[in-house]
Amino acid sequence: MAVYRRSYKPYSGTLTAPWSRFLVLFRYSRRTLFRSKLQTGFFVACFFYPIACLVMIYLAHSIGFLAKIGIPPSLISIDNMFFFRFMSVQGVLAFLMTAFAGPGLISPDLANGALPLYFCRPFSRAEYVLGKSSVLAILLSEITWVPGVILFLIQASFAGASWTWENLWIAGSLILGSLIWIAILSMLAMALSAWVKWRVVAGALLLAVMFFGAGFAQAINAVLRVDAGHFFDVGYLVASVWMGLFKVDAERVISASQAWMALLVYSAVCLWLLMRKVRAYEVIQ
Amino acid sequence: MSDRIVFEDVSKFYGEILGVNKVNLSIPPGITSLVGPNGSGKTTLMNLMTGLVKPSRGRIEVLGIATDDPEKMFRLVGYSTQFDAFPKGLTGFQFIYSYLCIAGMPAPEAERTAWQAIERVNLVDAASRKVAAYSKGMRQRIRLAQALAHNPKVLVLDEPLNGLDPLARAEMIALFRASAAEGCYVIISSHILHEVDVISDQVILLSNGYVVAEGQIQTVRNEIQEHPTQILVRCDRPRDLAARLFQSEYMIEASIHKDGRGVLLKTRDADRFYLAMNELALDGIQIESIAPADDDVLSVYEYLIGNEEVVR
Repeated sequence: MAVYRRSYKPYSGTLTAPWSRFLVLFRYSRRTLFRSKLQTGFFVACFFYPIACLVMIYLAHSIGFLAKIGIPPSLISIDNMFFFRFMSVQGVLAFLMTAFAGPGLISPDLANGALPLYFCRPFSRAEYVLGKSSVLAILLSEITWVPGVILFLIQASFAGASWTWENLWIAGSLILGSLIWIAILSMLAMALSAWVKWRVVAGALLLAVMFFGAGFAQAINAVLRVDAGHFFDVGYLVASVWMGLFKVDAERVISASQAWMALLVYSAVCLWLLMRKVRAYEVIQ
Repeated sequence: MSDRIVFEDVSKFYGEILGVNKVNLSIPPGITSLVGPNGSGKTTLMNLMTGLVKPSRGRIEVLGIATDDPEKMFRLVGYSTQFDAFPKGLTGFQFIYSYLCIAGMPAPEAERTAWQAIERVNLVDAASRKVAAYSKGMRQRIRLAQALAHNPKVLVLDEPLNGLDPLARAEMIALFRASAAEGCYVIISSHILHEVDVISDQVILLSNGYVVAEGQIQTVRNEIQEHPTQILVRCDRPRDLAARLFQSEYMIEASIHKDGRGVLLKTRDADRFYLAMNELALDGIQIESIAPADDDVLSVYEYLIGNEEVVR
């Protein structure tokens, strides 16, 4: 047995707060995302429609200008439908953004076997998933509820306090509706990213889940003569929830509460799939 | 705080697959090598030690800290896996720096510490290049740097010498020794048995998920009764020596060394043999040296596990 001097000195400096460590993943992943010019270009393009909405809000309050160019003021109505349409457009863009950015979040770490490197630190699986999902959550927030709330505030500043108080629920619907969509998209993208190591395939699968899901739902409804097929259509479910939130009058075969439940089940399944794969080790049978 | 890494009746099953079974260990400071063929449970043992895998049964403590307390434990433990595991697109420096940040080091401190670790593994010139462009030896070294960057007391290194050229290997061994000399626990798994023999203070031999032997290699060798001890005696009259010794019942075999100046003996009772050697020396045989010929890791490995997978 060797004789040891025991001169070892551990690190004794300050440590960052444990809750903040997931932000390291956010920082690196976001930087990696925006290295792509296509990604950056698409991100910029996502603000075109909010800018168009901003112009519409301005025009709606410029009655003199509208009269001058011959557009009746009633044509531009800033109400729940206006913000529902805003959500629908930005929701589609958020989905496309997720298909582009989501698959690259976890699959490279899995393909490179890098997960043990994260987990041999004071860093849990939940923090890893939080760090990765925060990239999508913040990115998608920037193109959904953040511009939505800004538009609402601008409209409120034009329309006055009484309109604001009467329609404050729209701001809540914007935030809640966006968060639901962001949660579903993030979960789906990360679960697929964790199970499919090839990034392109994971992106294609996300598109397939949405589009083939809708097709599959229609096929089930047509063949079995039921309405339950809509439960396979994530887009339909989210639209049902949004319609409830924005008080849109339309005939839906699935109620908002049923859609809520179905989306919760989808999220739970995605989370389960994710946690099955995000492990420090992989057992090869 | 305990000063050992303790495994108490630890078993790990991956479904129906046995990882390790009924492991009881108490690992002291210094360099400890895990030796065993592929699939013997070395990596599982390391994953258990670092808390990456939960045991199916039993208890593990690293210097008195349970492995399911990562906030405390990973201040003490640095782990380098055997796989080429690098997140995409990072440079050598970013690789070390980002993991120090994840471990909770503030940015300026992490930067300083990352450079220190990079210096320790002699990669300063390559630190700004992407890890993807590194050679295998450089990857091995940057992996080692990330394991020791936060100055852990327990270094767990899975196959750290694989892919290194002789010079880099010597540098790494010097690094392990320096860490051990500071009172750290360096746990190494390796197939390169002659190096294990040279660098290890103690070895743990694994086979099919079971610990077949542990401790200092000479002690382990002495406990293997079914294989007679081999001793090489250098002397001026090897034939006389062999003839005299063969009169004792504990001698099994003797063969004259090919240079004619020594005899390789096999004995069942090394203690009695050494006593007899004293008498022979007094009787006029000029003995130059007496050295055990099979108390190295390679011999013990062959006796206990077999000679498959051995890298000489």
